[in-house]
Amino acid sequence: MILINIISLFLLYYLKKSSGPEGFPVHLNRYFNYGMVASGIFIVLGATQLPPEFLFELLSFALVGAIIYLILNTPELEYQKTLAITPLPIIGVQLLEYLIETISPSIYDILENYLDAAGFFALIWAVTMWLNHRKQMKELEIERIFLKEQERQLKATAEQKNQLEALVAERTSEILKQKEELQKALNHLQSTQSQLIQQEKLASLGQLTAGIAHEIKNPLNFVNNFSELSVDFLEEIGEEMAKISDSPEKENILELLEDVKSNLVKIRHHGSRADSIVRSMLMHSRGGTGSMEPTDLNALIREYANLAFHGMRANPKPINVDIKLDFDEKLPQIKLNGEDFSRVILNLVKNSFDAMRDKISALGNEYKAKVEIRTKDLGDQILIEVEDNGPGVPDEIRDKLLMPFFTTKKGTEGTGLGLSITHDIIKSHEGKLEIESKVGEFTRFSILLPKIKSTEKSS
Amino acid sequence: MKILFVDDEKDVEALFRQKFRKEIKSGEIELAFAFSGKDALNILGEENPPKFVYVFSDINMPGMSGLELLEEIKTRFPNIQVSMISAYGDSENYDRAMSSGAKGFFTKPVDFERLKKEIAEMVKNQ
Repeated sequence: MILINIISLFLLYYLKKSSGPEGFPVHLNRYFNYGMVASGIFIVLGATQLPPEFLFELLSFALVGAIIYLILNTPELEYQKTLAITPLPIIGVQLLEYLIETISPSIYDILENYLDAAGFFALIWAVTMWLNHRKQMKELEIERIFLKEQERQLKATAEQKNQLEALVAERTSEILKQKEELQKALNHLQSTQSQLIQQEKLASLGQLTAGIAHEIKNPLNFVNNFSELSVDFLEEIGEEMAKISDSPEKENILELLEDVKSNLVKIRHHGSRADSIVRSMLMHSRGGTGSMEPTDLNALIREYANLAFHGMRANPKPINVDIKLDFDEKLPQIKLNGEDFSRVILNLVKNSFDAMRDKISALGNEYKAKVEIRTKDLGDQILIEVEDNGPGVPDEIRDKLLMPFFTTKKGTEGTGLGLSITHDIIKSHEGKLEIESKVGEFTRFSILLPKIKSTEKSS
Repeated sequence: MKILFVDDEKDVEALFRQKFRKEIKSGEIELAFAFSGKDALNILGEENPPKFVYVFSDINMPGMSGLELLEEIKTRFPNIQVSMISAYGDSENYDRAMSSGAKGFFTKPVDFERLKKEIAEMVKNQ
């Protein structure tokens, strides 16, 4: 009977060991432990033959039966089913032997040899089954490891996939960012290009202008010189005429000479008008003359804004203007061609006056003309703004403002060269001239001057 | 005192003759005109040594330029004074004229007051 208990102990021990890494539920382990203790006690009891043999054997069968029942009916132990079948023949033969011996010892004596043989076959069966079971377990184990490996690989693949996806997202956003930057650079390039084309046009126009001016200058000089001379001669003639005795013919001659003289004065007057235009035109080709000296820009602006104001007040059609100066007092000295740059200030302020004069005559005293001049230190650059609350510049003529001979002024008031020259001078200072305006509200000219010019940087 | 004006514009002659009418009448000065550099050198070379004291020359002329003429005169007739009259008063022309030995530099339109003063001084120093 001890064999049954040894089988019980072995089964329990084996089951407990086969739990694998996940382990069995706590209650199963508890069953195993109790069973092992029980089978151990039974072995000891069987050896000492202390309790009644009948009870002991019954209990032993009950225990092994319970174990087999447990194996067959617990889902966690499903894969151990063959283990339950392994000892079944031995237990069966033992049970039969036990029943026969208990019920009828006489029959037992007759059948003892057969029962021993059956026991022997049961043992062989058990051993075979056991080996079979071991083999199955090993296969299962391999399969389990294989599955685990597969799972691990899957997990690794998934992880890799995630990593790759993150990387792709990162790269995509980088590319998008680069695309945006490139787009920005392209836009910048395009606007620079159109600016360059515009400037190139202006520059060639300027050169043409200067060339024309030179060609006109010589004949114009003759016109002016000869008309001047003729006026002088007429005066001399007048002196000589005084020596001749009066007569109606003399009177007639004197009248005609007076007319000729007034005509010559007119020729001289319009000639000098043309001359001043020609001289303005020549300003375009006057690049590079005059030196760049460190200049107090605020002082220069103050002086020339003032000069423009008083010049305007002294000339015909003066207007009332409020001039507001809003200067950055910490402005450093900047290298300027003072003579040229003063023209810039004069031109811009004078333009404002002329524009506001038109608005005053349109609106009357309701409107208060105002010019505001600001300077500001922007770090690498200096900003100069000349803003008036005049009639403003319509969009359609804003691009034309800087072209030579473009003017909105009536008759002989403007040559159309002021802003063109202003732009040239600012360009020769490596600066930029921008125009912002809202019709009926304001016009703002902004000049951006670099503190250090590229020619100074390289040297 | 003989003065030579060199300019490719023919009307210069009429203008200057009228401008200096009194001085010419009084015999103070005598004017001659040449319309090219080559012309000027021919006139100067007619007499040896030439009687001309002063030459005023334009710079921009077809053929020989005023600056070339200046150098030529300065080598051949170092005693003759030469001043330039040009519409191009840029520093490049000015510097070259002065370093080649020009006495003065006048820009067009000519300031006749200044020119008369210059000539009067020359007459006085003779």
